[in-house]
Amino acid sequence: MLIQLEGVTKIYEVGTEKVNALGGVSLSIEKNEYLAIMGPSGSGKSTLMNVIGCLDTPTSGSYRLKDQEVGDLDDDELAEIRSAEIGFVFQTFNLLPRMTAFQNVELPLIYSKAHRRTRAERVWSVMDAVGLRERALHRPNELSGGQRQRVAIARALINNPSIILADEPTGNLDSGTGEEIMQVFEGLHRAGNTIILVTHEEYIAEHANRIIRLHDGLISSDERAARGASPTRPVGSAERT
Amino acid sequence: MEFRETFLSALRTLGSHKMRSALTMLGIIIGAGSLVAVMSLIAGLNQSVTAQFQSVGTDIISVSHFPWVQMGDSDEYRNRKSITIHDSDAIASLPSIGLVAPNIHTRRGLSYGGESMRRVRVSGTTPEYETIDNYSVESGRFITQFDVERRRQVVVIGSDVSEKLFGLRDPIAKEMRIGGKIFLVIGILEEKGDIFGESLDEHVIIPFTAFKKAFGSRRSVVVDCQPADGVTMTRAIDDIRALMRIRRQVPRDKPDDFAINTQEDLTASYKQLTGVLYFAMTGIVALALLVGGIGVMNVMLVSVAERTREIGVRKAIGARRRDVTFQFLIESVILTVLGGALGIGGGAGIGVLVRVATPLPAATTPGSVGLAVAFSLITGIVFGVYPALRAGRLNPIQALSYE
Ligand SMILES: Nc1ncnc2c1ncn2[C@@H]1O[C@H](COP(=O)(O)OP(=O)(O)OP(=O)(O)O)[C@@H](O)[C@H]1O
Ligand SMILES: [Mg+2]
Repeated sequence: MLIQLEGVTKIYEVGTEKVNALGGVSLSIEKNEYLAIMGPSGSGKSTLMNVIGCLDTPTSGSYRLKDQEVGDLDDDELAEIRSAEIGFVFQTFNLLPRMTAFQNVELPLIYSKAHRRTRAERVWSVMDAVGLRERALHRPNELSGGQRQRVAIARALINNPSIILADEPTGNLDSGTGEEIMQVFEGLHRAGNTIILVTHEEYIAEHANRIIRLHDGLISSDERAARGASPTRPVGSAERT
Repeated sequence: MEFRETFLSALRTLGSHKMRSALTMLGIIIGAGSLVAVMSLIAGLNQSVTAQFQSVGTDIISVSHFPWVQMGDSDEYRNRKSITIHDSDAIASLPSIGLVAPNIHTRRGLSYGGESMRRVRVSGTTPEYETIDNYSVESGRFITQFDVERRRQVVVIGSDVSEKLFGLRDPIAKEMRIGGKIFLVIGILEEKGDIFGESLDEHVIIPFTAFKKAFGSRRSVVVDCQPADGVTMTRAIDDIRALMRIRRQVPRDKPDDFAINTQEDLTASYKQLTGVLYFAMTGIVALALLVGGIGVMNVMLVSVAERTREIGVRKAIGARRRDVTFQFLIESVILTVLGGALGIGGGAGIGVLVRVATPLPAATTPGSVGLAVAFSLITGIVFGVYPALRAGRLNPIQALSYE
């Protein structure tokens, strides 16, 4: 099992008030799943993504990534897991403005201490994968929104992560461009990647082959889509709500 | 994260805020610059003072109207009674005193044939002056007792005078004019060099008596002397002081109204001077580095705040605390070291300017450059470490959601 959450809670303390962002989430995700997380605003989608992405640790409960308990890791150990296992794609792209697309994509390789000579080769191959070889030496402000998101996806892919996490990746794009980006994710999924994506849009979620709905920090439904061109996937994997 | 990447990334960031970076470096530039400049001035001073000490001689005691190094109230100095040839004779008769050479000085024009020189130092003295004041005759002879007794119009000339007035001709036995009066050249002095830009070789020496006759007898006399064999400097100085106080009727509770100068006094006042310089420099440098350092810290804190989101992104894609901390630390160190380098350039420039434009042979010392580099490096680290640690400790989620 790639990802296993059991009774994960996340409580934020704001002053004296406690916000139950996650109220006990149990969830298993296998390799090469394509999962969409939906739910109303404030239901805990981003919080769940942050926990899965090792940006945050649960207040209680257990989160095992590749059979390793993440809850007791320190900052730097979490950073190393993010570096090796996680690729983030954000709604607002979050590219570094002073760097070229190439340099943005290369950055995770620098943090994962890849050798300089192998880096360029790797960057070009993911740039090809997202179809942006020609734009590699442009800065983000010289790229369209769709192109920026492709750069961000390339950056997320560069370290061959186990999971690609995308929090509303089409939120800042028009529907046409959004659809193009979804095609990219589709391709990545077919190539064997595990993708978890948060969205508000049903038609975006339909690309996935499993949809989880959150409500007030709890999973209210977990359904496998039979439709679409999703590849066959193992059924009967342990899932709890 | 590799050093190379961090370094390049830091340069890119600083380069995108050129004005801000330049202003931030100002304090460091001033600090490092003043350090290098002042050290080069002190080095220059050391060099010229060493030359001066060599030309003075170690066991000379020079009793004069005014001290060599004057401090404070000059009116008090001006009202002092002159020292006379009788004082000189009295000092000479002290058992603790060996050689004595009374000497008096003025500045006069010199001429020979078509050549002339203006305001050259003219000294009237006795033969002992040669030994006491460390002169050597290159050719011809020094003045003799006979010259003094007979009040002969003879002159021993410095090497510059020989060169400028006589050129390639041999000055010996030629008649030249000093302040209009005719003197016969009997000797040429060996070259002595410069002190504070004034050539010691633009100098002529004539018999004490001939000086008085030609240029007047009212000048205060300087009495240069040496202790007698086997007598310490302190003992000789004490005897002179006691004698002079009596002769000049200085009341018990009043300070000396004359000066007894030794090379040691020079050394002491020189040390005092450089001490003040070092002290002032330390102050300026410390202040500039402090101000510069605070500036660096301020700018780095602003930079951390501005780039909170960037920090969040970097962490999300795998940067560890130390990667982020190191990145910001490198930036502040580049700022201060670059500032230090510019300051060193400026300070060295000032040194060159001083050497060219003034008599002081200022010279940039490797030590001061090393110090400046070390100080700017340390400033960058000390004042950069807090903002850098803050950047490293940022929570990635909060950083990412920072507006
Ligand atoms: N840092 C925080 N401090 C306090 N409360 C927080 C914090 N982050 C999130 N919350 C709260 O936790 C709950 C879940 O937030 P979360 O961001 O996960 O929602 P979301 O489902 O992603 O919403 P949206 O669709 O609007 O992005 C919300 O009530 C939110 O106010
Ligand atoms: Mg959200």
